[in-house]
Amino acid sequence: MLFHTWTFAVFFLIVYTGFRLLRGTRAEMPWLLGASYIFYGAWNPLYLVLLLYSTAVDYFAITRMARSSRRGLWLGLSIGNNLALLGFFKYRRFVAQNVNALLDWAGVRLAVPMVDDILPWLTADVNSLVAALGLHYTVPGLGTLPVGISFHTFQAISYAIDVYRGQTPRESSFIRYATFVSFFPQLVAGPIERSTNLLRQLGNTNPITRDDIADGLSLFLVGLFKKVALADYLGQYVDKVYAVPGDHHAPALVLATFAFAWQIYFDFSGYTDMARGLGRLMGFRLMLNFHNPYLADSLGDFWSRWHISLSTWFRDYVYIPLGGNRSGTWATYRNMVLTMVISGVWHGAEWGFVIWGLLHAAGRAATRELEQTPFYRERVPHLVKQALVFAFVTFTWIFFRAKTWGVASLVVERIFTSGWADPEFPMLAMAMILAVWAYQHAYESRSARGVLELAPVRVALAVAMAVYLVTFLAPGAAQAFIYFQF
Amino acid sequence: MESKDQQELAQAQGDAVAMPASPDGTPAGAPVVAGRPVVRLPGLDLRYGSNAVRLTLRQWIVVGLVVVLAMSLVPPLWERLEPLEDAPDYRVPFELSNDYWLYQRWCRRSAGRGDVLVLGDSVVWGLYVLREETLSHCLTAAAGGRRRFANLGVNGTYPAALDGLIDYYGGDIAGRDVVLHFNLLWLSSPQHDLQEERAGEFNHPALVPQFWPNIPAYDESLSRRVSHVLDRNVPFFAWANHMRTSRLGRGDLPTWSLEHPYDNPAQAVRLEAPAKADERHEPPVPWDHPSRRIGKQAPAWVPPAWVLLERSIQWRLFQSVVRTLRERGNRVVVVVGPFNEHLLEKNNLAVYRRLRDQAVAHLRGQGVACCVPPTLPSELYGDSNHPLAAGYARLAEWLVEQEEFATTVMGSR
Repeated sequence: MLFHTWTFAVFFLIVYTGFRLLRGTRAEMPWLLGASYIFYGAWNPLYLVLLLYSTAVDYFAITRMARSSRRGLWLGLSIGNNLALLGFFKYRRFVAQNVNALLDWAGVRLAVPMVDDILPWLTADVNSLVAALGLHYTVPGLGTLPVGISFHTFQAISYAIDVYRGQTPRESSFIRYATFVSFFPQLVAGPIERSTNLLRQLGNTNPITRDDIADGLSLFLVGLFKKVALADYLGQYVDKVYAVPGDHHAPALVLATFAFAWQIYFDFSGYTDMARGLGRLMGFRLMLNFHNPYLADSLGDFWSRWHISLSTWFRDYVYIPLGGNRSGTWATYRNMVLTMVISGVWHGAEWGFVIWGLLHAAGRAATRELEQTPFYRERVPHLVKQALVFAFVTFTWIFFRAKTWGVASLVVERIFTSGWADPEFPMLAMAMILAVWAYQHAYESRSARGVLELAPVRVALAVAMAVYLVTFLAPGAAQAFIYFQF
Repeated sequence: MESKDQQELAQAQGDAVAMPASPDGTPAGAPVVAGRPVVRLPGLDLRYGSNAVRLTLRQWIVVGLVVVLAMSLVPPLWERLEPLEDAPDYRVPFELSNDYWLYQRWCRRSAGRGDVLVLGDSVVWGLYVLREETLSHCLTAAAGGRRRFANLGVNGTYPAALDGLIDYYGGDIAGRDVVLHFNLLWLSSPQHDLQEERAGEFNHPALVPQFWPNIPAYDESLSRRVSHVLDRNVPFFAWANHMRTSRLGRGDLPTWSLEHPYDNPAQAVRLEAPAKADERHEPPVPWDHPSRRIGKQAPAWVPPAWVLLERSIQWRLFQSVVRTLRERGNRVVVVVGPFNEHLLEKNNLAVYRRLRDQAVAHLRGQGVACCVPPTLPSELYGDSNHPLAAGYARLAEWLVEQEEFATTVMGSR
């Protein structure tokens, strides 16, 4: 169920009505949990079993951890189980392909089996049962990546570690813990919540205020506009060019990459805004996940603004445990590079993502010292810094979008060698991007922000977004979010 | 004074450190809250967001009212401002067949003039002819000026779609005289009768019943079905579809801009829709011409597999059309066919005629006037059911001579 569909609107209406009626009662959490499972099961009912399994294992392990002297063992079980699920469902093909390529190169006559479909007989049996019941529905197989697996496993791991470290108490209620893991607004694409935030709020029964409703609606509208009006729009041009990069020249490839930089930002931040809006309507404050990342004036700043829940996760559970910046310069750079590479791998099982992570690691390593020099801090104009960071980040998006080394290298090569041809990039799209960019600059400017915060301006923008959405966009098939594939 | 953002950030960071910790792992000197030592946790950013579009509830009510007002006022205002072609034989342009707001407007115009309204699919619209050669034009001519007939045909409106079209967009024709065409093509196979599941391309999905009765051939997501229900019940959405269809080439603004990257979208969304000359949609060549490959000997020929009336979805919904029109006070005469019987083998022809006669008997049994035109000469058909220009002329001349037709629509009211 995508947030920007009528199906979800009907679903949320029912869930929200029940939630408000049951708020403060013992049925509140089971209702929310049931809704979250229905939401997740709508993607593939079989993966619901997977989610239940990992939730049960984590709950059991953490319960045992609280009572055992061998707490590390139980922590290891929880983390290991989550990573095993993630590794199997997300990376098995990638690992098999590359191991087989290596074996082939080494002349070894062995091959790791490629497990494409998992338990196909189970899927067939379930579909037979569904058909026998007269339902017009086909259960997808287990071979595809479970939606949101990278998010809920990381969320569960963070909770387990926090309990182990004593930073958060163990949640004794399985229902509440399961709701924390599967909370539907943020289940499939984040933000990756911490138990100290979301789990704690799930235990509250504070009344839902007018501000909650108003902020929730505001966040949802902005997110919907970003996704439907901007991300999906830019995606049409990006898909057209990246589908056959060999057919396009430098200007189109550059503009498609530029458009992708904004597409992925609008797509992901739009989803997050909608998720936060839905949470807020229910009185829950989910963490900020994007903070105008293309206004960053350094790579460090960029990573404090982009996918904040993931970057802070890696900081707290990978970078700092590795030693962070406490063990000398060499170790600091090693830890930084490792963290960025793992972050790249987290995004997907393709070399493009690994290279993307490596590039960011290299960029961060190269500029970390520079960014701390007085020259960079005081002499380089702010706009120039922003432009340099944006240019670098956009360049790295080539590898992210292309996914494979072959396509990415073709794009890069053709950008520098293919010469000029009319890119046919819509002026409307450019105008929208520039308008958003100008808005973000104004927002972060003390003087201009005051104008943006004037009530008539806010109301006018909201009206404009709503009217644009209902008038100029065809009710076509909803496009899935990019980050759902992670 | 701190901004709301700053307050939220401070609160979040304050909240983040307020968690009591378990006894082990607590750093020395940690603050104590409620008798338990706490651990400073990474601060979580719980600020509202990174933009200023943050409305209060009161402002949201204002936005809601403005949007509702705009949605209520724009369609009727636009109808007053946008010119509608006033040609004598106007028909909804082929490429605007899905523009139901325009269709509704055309219904209102022609009903207001007292025209006899000719309803049906592309047979009425005139796939092989110009607007001056259509059935409605020929009927006007054959009527000798006594009545004017308006072409309210829409391409692809099989009975299931026609039912929705009349139900949701044809309210303005209430009380008028109607010539309703029944095309037996739609019963010529289970596929035509919408009985084959997930049959592929589906005309006018927005017009068919979305939830009940179930149509096996209609395979659409719940979200799109809800969207269609909203489109047909909220005039603004029909108007928005009209704007997209007539100005943006059936797409939406983003798609249009990809095809016209350097054009100003404001110029596309102007008061007058781009005019397109009326033209035939198919070449006016008889069906059995060697170039057509429709004949019985053609490799692609598939004889009809007629669906019985009692099992037909299309027939059931056609009856719904008749019922709706009569309940609204319309005087209805149904014209059944004429199907191109020259296409049919002997046994197939017998089945077809039985089906046709059953339908006519059923309608007459309900007191509905019916005309069953004789089959036209072979050379006057463009395919299995569309006449050519001369075919419409002959059909019109025959119809005005029929008592049921004359009684229903030729007399004054």
